[in-house]
Amino acid sequence: MPPIRSIQRVINFFITLLLWSYFLFGSIVFFFLFYLPAYFFAGNRITAFQKLNHLHMKNFFTLTRWLIPRTKFAIPEEVREIHSSVIVCNHLSYLDPILLISLLPRLRTIVKSTFFKVPFFGWLLKNSGYVPSAPSEMLGPAMINNLESIKEHLAAGGNLFVFPEGTRSRNGKLMPFNKGVFSIARYCDAPLKLIFIENTNKLFRPGTFSFNARAFNIVKVELIGSLTPDYQGIDFSISAVADQARSLYEARLATNKEKN
Amino acid sequence: MTRQEIEREIKNIFQREFEVENPGMDDNLREEYGFDSIDAIELLLEIEKLLGFELTQEEKKLAMEIRTISQICDYVEKITQIKATLAGDK
Repeated sequence: MPPIRSIQRVINFFITLLLWSYFLFGSIVFFFLFYLPAYFFAGNRITAFQKLNHLHMKNFFTLTRWLIPRTKFAIPEEVREIHSSVIVCNHLSYLDPILLISLLPRLRTIVKSTFFKVPFFGWLLKNSGYVPSAPSEMLGPAMINNLESIKEHLAAGGNLFVFPEGTRSRNGKLMPFNKGVFSIARYCDAPLKLIFIENTNKLFRPGTFSFNARAFNIVKVELIGSLTPDYQGIDFSISAVADQARSLYEARLATNKEKN
Repeated sequence: MTRQEIEREIKNIFQREFEVENPGMDDNLREEYGFDSIDAIELLLEIEKLLGFELTQEEKKLAMEIRTISQICDYVEKITQIKATLAGDK
């Protein structure tokens, strides 16, 4: 292996170690200093936990900027100003959800139910008002309870974000959309904001546990569309809204291809 | 709305929204057509549109237990009757 490559790997390893150390030890510090008092004393525990998550992840990305100066972040103000909306987002890397949390203080999402079983992390997710994707939570009366709670959260200025592809794209191409997010938006009578994330997969590649600190990279978060469907309209169709959203993502991806 | 009108409207919704042609009245929607909870939410919202008013949380929860077209029609009929009675009382 050429020596430069070995040095790059060592740098990546140490930066990764520092970042995940912050993630782990920062969580412990946050737990004792903030989460625990918020759990017992906050007037609105869920909102307090969401704001703490936001602060914790904001710190994480501040540290990322310091440690990985070759990666820049291009995030327009209009993204940070989104409120009372259902955010639809493409998914490239494990960094995507925590990046969104670092940008928006009042955020909820639907999370794989297995994460709720992880000690501490599951407790954090539950108290942050995140909804498990378990069948028991997405069926019958429990589903109505969850949807009503999301509706209240949106009415109070919060956002819900969902990756309609369900999982990370390994090749940057758009995977099939699950229509569930559009049904949730309809139930909540909420507008849809389409967010396009770019290059998080270059900073933290799927299938690896290492940050890429050496590459010159710009992580972009862009608002590519705002949809306010007429949910009560006679011609309203969930499929049409889902298709419209997908076509906006395809158009955005096509623009990237032309540039390259 | 008569029972026949309700049945016709519900079947229209199934054809239009879920691409299910002439479903059997007692077919188990989950087993026969892969009807899931998100579809059930869509159906609820279509029923609200059909009735012209918003259902209460309790009414919505009741609907989540429904499994057949026949039960959907019973549900719509029951809700319509309750609303008509309440309107009559006022």
